[in-house]
Amino acid sequence: MSDTWVLGQRGLRETLRTPDSLIPTLFIPVFFLVVNVGQAGKIFPSGTTPFLEGQNYAAFQLPSSLLLAASFGTAALYLVEDIEGGYFDKLRAAPVSRTSIVLGRLVAEGAKNLAITAVMVLLALPFGISIATGPLGFVLLLLLTAGWAVVFAGFMQLIALKTRSAAATNAGGLVFFPLLFLTPNFVPRDLLTRPMEIAATFNPVTYIMEAMRSFILEDWTWSRLGPGFAVVAVLGVVMVVLNVRMIRTYD
Amino acid sequence: MTAAVEAQRLVKHFGGRGGTVEAVRGVDLSVSKGEVFGFLGPNGAGKSTTVKMLTTLMSITSGTALVAGVDVAADPDAARRRIGVALQEAGLDPRQTGRELLVLQARLFGSPRGEAADRAQSLLELVDLVEAADRRIKGYSGGMKRRLDLASALVHEPEVLFLDEPTTGLDPASRLTVWDEVRRINRRGTTVFLTTQYLEEADALCDRLAIIDGGVIVREGTPSELKSQLRERQGLAYGPTLDEVFLDATGRTRERIEGEVQEVHA
Ligand SMILES: Nc1ncnc2c1ncn2[C@@H]1O[C@H](COP(=O)(O)OP(=O)(O)OP(=O)(O)O)[C@@H](O)[C@H]1O
Ligand SMILES: [Mg+2]
Repeated sequence: MSDTWVLGQRGLRETLRTPDSLIPTLFIPVFFLVVNVGQAGKIFPSGTTPFLEGQNYAAFQLPSSLLLAASFGTAALYLVEDIEGGYFDKLRAAPVSRTSIVLGRLVAEGAKNLAITAVMVLLALPFGISIATGPLGFVLLLLLTAGWAVVFAGFMQLIALKTRSAAATNAGGLVFFPLLFLTPNFVPRDLLTRPMEIAATFNPVTYIMEAMRSFILEDWTWSRLGPGFAVVAVLGVVMVVLNVRMIRTYD
Repeated sequence: MTAAVEAQRLVKHFGGRGGTVEAVRGVDLSVSKGEVFGFLGPNGAGKSTTVKMLTTLMSITSGTALVAGVDVAADPDAARRRIGVALQEAGLDPRQTGRELLVLQARLFGSPRGEAADRAQSLLELVDLVEAADRRIKGYSGGMKRRLDLASALVHEPEVLFLDEPTTGLDPASRLTVWDEVRRINRRGTTVFLTTQYLEEADALCDRLAIIDGGVIVREGTPSELKSQLRERQGLAYGPTLDEVFLDATGRTRERIEGEVQEVHA
């Protein structure tokens, strides 16, 4: 456990020393939020759109942007650098559990995403967005989003460990496209066309997005929050197990 | 007394698209405690692959390896605690400072925070990097990186130290510093397993050595044993150098090498 934390601190140090890498992580999601709301906001006026629960369309769109910000998987690109530079071998030569080696990076990625999500939500508050579930909901919203960031980074790390190539890892990151867009991204699930609805129902990210929305738009609704956390927990465990297996058999 | 390194019929195959590469094909090694053992061989002979298998960094296709009495495949963590390793490519993280890297490494080997800081300081002094300690590794020269890599292999005072070409790319002065360092580490009781391309280095440092070629050991003994063997076998009037032993062992005779060079120029 303490090994995980020691390695996590190193991961955070790495992030703080490459602040440039945070710019796209913040800028691209905010850009999408502004553009999407600017284009579709008029179709969904807050007074007459039931699914907005009295808030504006930006409140509905915010979770998509938060998920986008959580789907960069930067940890995996740093991992490729470690592998290429040989530092990964130095870590592997230390008598620490392989789980700590995996979790160290993921903890750092989670912590970084907590900060990014908090900044984005706080920036959104002055634009008429409020968190219906209050401060506790805000905290859980951050944790859920960070959980997804960890899952996604874990997935990208698998590609990094398998291919040991930055180009392949970057390319693998493009799965965020189907994952984030085959979702009830612009309207709730029951308003989607039938094929879209089916696709969204099979996409695990849908449940995370719906839970995040629920924190922002509704009073505590565990039937929507629960599945989101369940998806993150299950995928999180799967990713860690697969990563550890991959490092054990790494040659 | 158990040996520091005891390998039996060590084999490593790499499976790839172009078929299997048999990098190591049945290597037996026995290194006594307290020795400086040299592991020589031409490029691609299987030196680094053997070192990685002995240091738990690579799976063993078949055969067994005990390092400091521990089976590296059966109990890798116990082996790791007794082994220090500096690989051929210095494995450093450019975004940390030298000091941070050493502290982190010491903590991963179980030192509490304060102890790790002390250990890092004394290692920085040892490899003469105190002034650069708080700068990012990114800006270190090749020689500084090598020295830091060596220091990081020593954080836990290993029983057996593996150095894969520790002096490649160093200037003559730095090379001598590393030699002194290896001798000093060895005097404190650490067994050193060292690969090198420089035969005068092997001659100067190693108590015993093995020459590997094409994945198999082709010579083994003390430098003087190997030289006198060659002298007797070829009936030489003079004492051959280790270079000649190496060329003879690996079938790369001077004549052939000169011939090849001429072909290239033709
Ligand atoms: N990961 C790998 N995958 C496939 N083949 C490999 C791998 N690593 C090494 N080899 C092959 O195994 C053989 C031995 O390589 P190794 O690196 O052990 O040689 P070496 O003696 O250290 O050479 P050098 O003096 O150039 O460092 C070579 O033919 C090499 O191509
Ligand atoms: Mg090598």
